[in-house]
Amino acid sequence: MLSRPLALLLLVAAAQASLLTLHAPRVTTYDSTGNGIRTEILKLTQKPAIPMAVGPTDSLKLTFQIIEEGDDSGKGVQPLQTFLRFYDPHTGEEGIQPLRVTAAGKAKFDLNMAKPPLSIPPTSKAPLEVTLILGSPKHSPVKLALFDIQLPESQPAPQHPDEPSFHLLPTIEHTFRPTQKVPARAISALFTLFALAPWGVLLVLWSQVFPGAPRLFSPSILPFTASLGAFELLLFWYWVDLKLGQVLLYGGVLGVVTIFTGKTALASIGARRIARK
Amino acid sequence: MLSLHTFLLFFLSLSGLLHAKSSSGDSVLVVLEPARQADFSIFFDGLKEQGYELTFRGPKDEKPIVAEHDVPAFSHIIILASESKNFAKDITPQSLVELMSGGTNLLMALSEKQTPLSSLASEFSLILPPPGTPLVSFFPERKDPLSMIPIDAPVDSLILSPKMNPVWFSGVPHALGSNPLLVPILHAPSDSFAADTDSNADALVDAAEKGGEGLWAGSQLSVATGFQALGGARATWLGGVDMLSDKFAKKSKAGNKQFARDVAAWTFQESRVLRIDSTTHHLVNGTTPLEQYTINDQIVYTAQISHYNAKTSKWEPYSGITDMQLEFTMLDPHVRTALLPVAGSPGTYSVTFRAPDRHGVFKFVINHKRKGWTHLFSSTTVPVVPPRHDGYPRFLSAAWPYYAGAISTSVGFFVFSAAWLAGESRESKKAKKTQ
Repeated sequence: MLSRPLALLLLVAAAQASLLTLHAPRVTTYDSTGNGIRTEILKLTQKPAIPMAVGPTDSLKLTFQIIEEGDDSGKGVQPLQTFLRFYDPHTGEEGIQPLRVTAAGKAKFDLNMAKPPLSIPPTSKAPLEVTLILGSPKHSPVKLALFDIQLPESQPAPQHPDEPSFHLLPTIEHTFRPTQKVPARAISALFTLFALAPWGVLLVLWSQVFPGAPRLFSPSILPFTASLGAFELLLFWYWVDLKLGQVLLYGGVLGVVTIFTGKTALASIGARRIARK
Repeated sequence: MLSLHTFLLFFLSLSGLLHAKSSSGDSVLVVLEPARQADFSIFFDGLKEQGYELTFRGPKDEKPIVAEHDVPAFSHIIILASESKNFAKDITPQSLVELMSGGTNLLMALSEKQTPLSSLASEFSLILPPPGTPLVSFFPERKDPLSMIPIDAPVDSLILSPKMNPVWFSGVPHALGSNPLLVPILHAPSDSFAADTDSNADALVDAAEKGGEGLWAGSQLSVATGFQALGGARATWLGGVDMLSDKFAKKSKAGNKQFARDVAAWTFQESRVLRIDSTTHHLVNGTTPLEQYTINDQIVYTAQISHYNAKTSKWEPYSGITDMQLEFTMLDPHVRTALLPVAGSPGTYSVTFRAPDRHGVFKFVINHKRKGWTHLFSSTTVPVVPPRHDGYPRFLSAAWPYYAGAISTSVGFFVFSAAWLAGESRESKKAKKTQ
C-alpha cells in the first residue's frame, strides 16, 4: 500500500531526464594583493543577501563542479552549454560568458577587474544578477541563480549620433533683447512744463503790454488767418495719421485757397497803409 | 439586452478585422520556390483575407519584374526564398534598396546559408553570425529538436499584440547595430546561442575567447527585426522562414499565426502609420498665412495629423501624439517648443510663440521620429524681417517735451501771424505827427 506511491515516484523520476546540480559552488573575492576579502558558499536555493562587491582592482573567483542530482559518487558531468549570464534588470543589459568545464565536471571562472572580460555588460549603480545556464542533451536544462555582483560603474554603451532625435529634445527658449528702459512719465511731464514755460512768460508780458488786434475778425483778414491755421492743423494731422501722398494732396488744395485769401488779406493791409499816407 | 449588444459588436468588429488593409497598396509579390508554396498556406491565406493580392514568383523566374522603367510594380515584396543562392537579375541588394527608397515595403527571411540577402542585411545594421550556425536552445525542455525554439512574446511590444502565445522559431539570430531606425520585434531567449550542430563545449568557449563578436548568445540577439527607413518604407528581417510556416503555426498553443499577422500588419503599413495632412501659420490675431513676419511677432503654427485606421481603411485625425515638438530654425533651432494637441479639435496640434528678435529666413520644422511609428517631417520656410520704418513704437512718453516744443513752434507761428495781420500799423501816425 505504502510502496505504491513510492514506486510511482521512482517511475516518474526514471521517466524524466536526470537533473544537474552543482557540488561545492563557491565564490571568493580577492583584493589586488591576492588576499581574500569575502567567500561565500552558494546555496542554490537562495542567493546571498548582500551582493559580492568587486572594486576596480579586485578580482573574483567562482568554482564549482557539475554533477547529477542524487549522484554522490563524485563523477562529474561535462554539459554542452555552461554559460554564466550577467544581467542588469534596470537597463536590460546582458552579457554571456561561456565557461570551460573539465571532463570531471569542474569549472572555474576568474574575473579580474583590472582586465575585465568582454562579456561583462555596461554596468550602472545597480548590481548585476549572475545566473548559471546549464544545457546538456542527456539532462534536463537548468538555470541556477548564483549571486549578485556589484561592479564599478562603467561607461554607458555608445549611442548612435542620431539617437537623441528619436526622443524628446530639450526645449529652447530664445532670449530676447531686454525692452528699452524709458524714463518715468513724471520726469517727462516736468520737462514738458519747462518746454512750455516761455508761453507763461508771453502771457505775463501780454498782460502788461498788449498791442491790440483790432482787425482780427475783419472779413478780409480772417480767411487768411484761418488758412494759416489750417496749414498748422494739416501738419499736426500728418504727424498723427496721414501719409505723404495724402498730405501733399490736401496741402496743395489748401495752398491754392491760401493764395487767394493771402492776396485778399495783404491787399487790404496794403490799401489801409496807402489810405493813411 | 446587454449580451445581444456585445454579440452584435463582436460580429461587427470581426468583419472589420477581416478587411484591415494597407495604407500604401495591396499588391504583394512573394518570391518563393514554387515547391514550398504549400508550406505557408496559413500565412498566405491570412494575407488574402486581409485584402492583399498575392503574386507568386520563383527566385530565378524572370517575370513578374519588380520594377519596370524605374516604376515599382508592387507595393510590398516578401522574399522567403531562403535556400536559393542566386536570384534573378532584377532582385539584387541594390534594386531592393532602390525599391525601398521608392516606398516599397519588404519582408525578408534569412537562413543559415549565404543568400544574396545576407549582404543586404549588413546595410540595415544587422550583424549576421557565421554561416552554418543556427540558434539553438536547451530551454524549455521539449521533445523537438534543439533548433526549434519557442520564444515568449515580449510583454510590451510596439508591434506584437499583447498576451501572445510563445512563437516557435528556427533559424539564425542576428545582432543589432546601434542604428535608431531599427525596431526590434522579437529577441532571442537569454539561454539560447548560435552554434554549429556538431560543436562541442570547448568550441563555444574558444569562439568566445577569439574576440570580435565572440559568442553569439543571449537576449541581445534578435530573431525578428523591423527597420523604418527615412523615406517611410518599412523592412522586416526574420531569422528564419519557418516562423511563418504551417508546421509551426499548427503546433499547440503556438502564437505564430498572430505573430505573422502582426508583423505583416506593421511591415505593410497597416499599423502605426501617421501622416501630416497640412500645416499653416499665421499671426495671433489673423487667419491667413503672411508672406513674411516681423521680429517679435506672436505666431500661431498649426498642424493636422492623421493616423491610418486599418480596420476602416481610412485616415482619421489623431490627437494621440503627446511629445511632438516644433522647431523654428535658421541654421540652428532658435525656438523649440512642444506642439500640443488642441482639445476639442481632433488631429489638430497648435502652438503660439514669439518670433525671435533676429531677422533672417527661418523654417518651421516638424521632425518627429519615434520607434515603430512613421517619421513625420515638414519644413515651411518663412522670412522674418525687422520692423518697417513706421513699425516702431510711436508717441513715447519720453518724447513729451519734444512734442511740446514742436507744437509750441507751430502755435507760436500761428499766433504771431494772426497778431501781425490783425494789427494796425501806427508808424504813419507818428510820421504825420512829427511832420
